[in-house]
Amino acid sequence: MSLDSFFAWFFGWFPLSPYELGGTFETGFIFGLVALGAYLTFRILDFPDLTVEGSFPLGAAVAASLMVGLGMNPWLATVCAAIVGFGAGFVTALLNVQFKILHILAGILVAIALYSINLRIMGGPNKPLLRVDTVFDTLDFVPLPGIWLNPIFLGLVIVAVLAAVNWFLNTGNGISMRAAGANPAMAEANGINVGRQRLMGVGLANALTALAGALFAQIFGAADAYMGIGVIIVGLASVIVGMSLIPSRTILIATIACVIGAILYRAAVALALNADQLGLQASDVQLVTAIIVALALIAQYSGSSFGRSRRKGAKSEGDKSEGDKK
Amino acid sequence: MIELNDIHVTFNKGTPLETEALRGVTLSVPKGEFLTVIGSNGAGKSTALNVLAGLAPTEQGSVKLHETDVTRWPVHKRAKLVSRVFQDPKMGTCEDLTIIENFALAHGRTKPRGFGSAIDRSMREATAERLKVLGLGLENRLDDKVGLLSGGQRQAVSLLMATTGESRILLLDEHTAALDPKTADFVLSLTKEIVESLGLTALMVTHSMAQALDTGERTIMFHRGRIIFDVAGSEREGMEVKDLLDLFQKTQGEELADDSLLLS
Repeated sequence: MSLDSFFAWFFGWFPLSPYELGGTFETGFIFGLVALGAYLTFRILDFPDLTVEGSFPLGAAVAASLMVGLGMNPWLATVCAAIVGFGAGFVTALLNVQFKILHILAGILVAIALYSINLRIMGGPNKPLLRVDTVFDTLDFVPLPGIWLNPIFLGLVIVAVLAAVNWFLNTGNGISMRAAGANPAMAEANGINVGRQRLMGVGLANALTALAGALFAQIFGAADAYMGIGVIIVGLASVIVGMSLIPSRTILIATIACVIGAILYRAAVALALNADQLGLQASDVQLVTAIIVALALIAQYSGSSFGRSRRKGAKSEGDKSEGDKK
Repeated sequence: MIELNDIHVTFNKGTPLETEALRGVTLSVPKGEFLTVIGSNGAGKSTALNVLAGLAPTEQGSVKLHETDVTRWPVHKRAKLVSRVFQDPKMGTCEDLTIIENFALAHGRTKPRGFGSAIDRSMREATAERLKVLGLGLENRLDDKVGLLSGGQRQAVSLLMATTGESRILLLDEHTAALDPKTADFVLSLTKEIVESLGLTALMVTHSMAQALDTGERTIMFHRGRIIFDVAGSEREGMEVKDLLDLFQKTQGEELADDSLLLS
C-alpha cells in the first residue's frame, strides 16, 4: 500500500479530515507549551497563576507588532515575545511576594492590565500578519506540505522545551523551585529564597505561554486582543486530563503527560465540534472546554489514584499553614 | 556560638490579642554546648527558637551567631549558619522529592546550588553512607519519595539533613514529640550521637523535664517570656524532675501547674 493510498484509507474512516488532524496537532503542541507553564505554576510552585490569560495574547501582540511594525526577523520577534511574557509573570509574582497580594488576585490584576497594554502594543484590537514572513514561512525550504510541516516543527519545539524543563527541574536550582512550592517553610530553613523561586518560576511559565501566543498568532495569521480568553482553562485542562490518564511518578512522565493532555484536549474539542449530531458550532468551544474540564475533575475526585494523592496534598497543605502560624 | 541580647517579641501588637512572647531574653551559648530548653505552653521557648531561626520578628534586641549580627537576616540567609529539625516530621522533609533530592537540598544550605545536576555519584555514596548508620535500610531507597517513609524515618532523615554541610548550630524544636516512645528514644539517642561527633552547638526545646535533664549539658527554663533559671555543671548533675519543680517554686513563688509539661 503506498503512502497516498494509506492516507486515503485512513481518512476514509477517521472522523477528522487531514486538515483537522494537522490542526489538532498544531494547536495541541502550541497549547502543550501553555500546559507546561501551567504545570510549573500549579503543580511545581503551587501558585495558581491567572496571568496567562493576558500573557498569551501579549506574546502574540509583541511578536506581531515587531514583525509588522519594525520588520523584525520572525524568530527574533518570537524570542522577544517570550522575554516580555517572562516580565508579565514576574510582575504577578512580585505583587504576591513583595506586596503580599493573594496570588490569584495578582494574576487577575496583571491579566486585565495586559488587556489594555495589548491594545496599545497593537494599536487596535488585532494585528494581521499580512505580507510578512512568519517562522513557518522560513521553513519553506523543507520539502513537505504545510499541513504536515507545521505540526512536525511545533512537535520539535515542544520536545526541546520539554527536555529543557526536565533538565532545569533536576538542577540544584530546579530542586529548590520544587521544594519552594511543595514545602515553603522547609525550603526557607534550607536556605532557599522562596520569593525568588516564585518570581523565576511564574516568569518562566509566562514566557512559555507568551511563546505559545506568538506561535499561535503566526499559525492563525493575526494577533488578537481576545485570543487569551480561556487560555488558563486550556492549560489547566491539559494538565488535569494528562495527569489523570497517565500516573506520573517522575517529572519526565508528568511533563509528557501534560503535553499529551493538551493534544487529547484539542482532539476532544475538535471531535465534539465535528460531531454533526451534537449540533455544536465553533463558538461553543468555551462551553465544550468547561464541560471537558469539569468531567476530568469529577472523574479525578471520584476515586482515581490521582484523586487520592490530590486529597493527601490538600491535607498536608493544611499542616503546612499550621506550621507557618507558629 | 549563640548570643541573644535583650530580645523582646510581641505578637499582634496594638490589638486586643497582643501577647508579649519574649520580654527581655538574654542568652549566651558557647560553641559546642548542647542546651536543653523547657517551659510550659506559651512560655516563649519556641518563640526563642524562632528568633534564632529568623521566623519571629524581634522588636528590640540583637541576635548574634558566630560573632555575626544576624538580627535583620531573613530565614533563608541564616540557613547557612543554622539548621533546624521541626516538631512535625512532615515539615523537615519535602515529601514530593526523593530521599536523595532532599539531601541535595540540604547540601545547598552551605554550597552554591547552580545549574549543574544537583546529584552526583559522590553525593549519592556519601548520603548512603550516612543513612546506613540509621540501620533502617534507607540507603537502598535513595530514589524513593520521602512521602513513602514513616514519621520516625522522616524525622531521622530530617536530622541527618540538618546536620549535613557546614552549618554548626542545630535547633531542635520538640523534634521527638510527635513520635511513638520507641522511635522517640531512637531519634533522641541519634541526636546525642550526631551532636557529639560533629561538635555542634545545639539547642533542644522539649516538653519533658526528664528528657531535658538527661540530654545535653545545660538546661534553661522559660516562663512568661523570661528565662527563670539556668542550670549547668555540678548543680545540674544529679538533678531530678522534683528538684526542677522545687527550683521553679523557689524562683516564682508559685506551683507549676501545667499538664502540658511532662513531669515524668
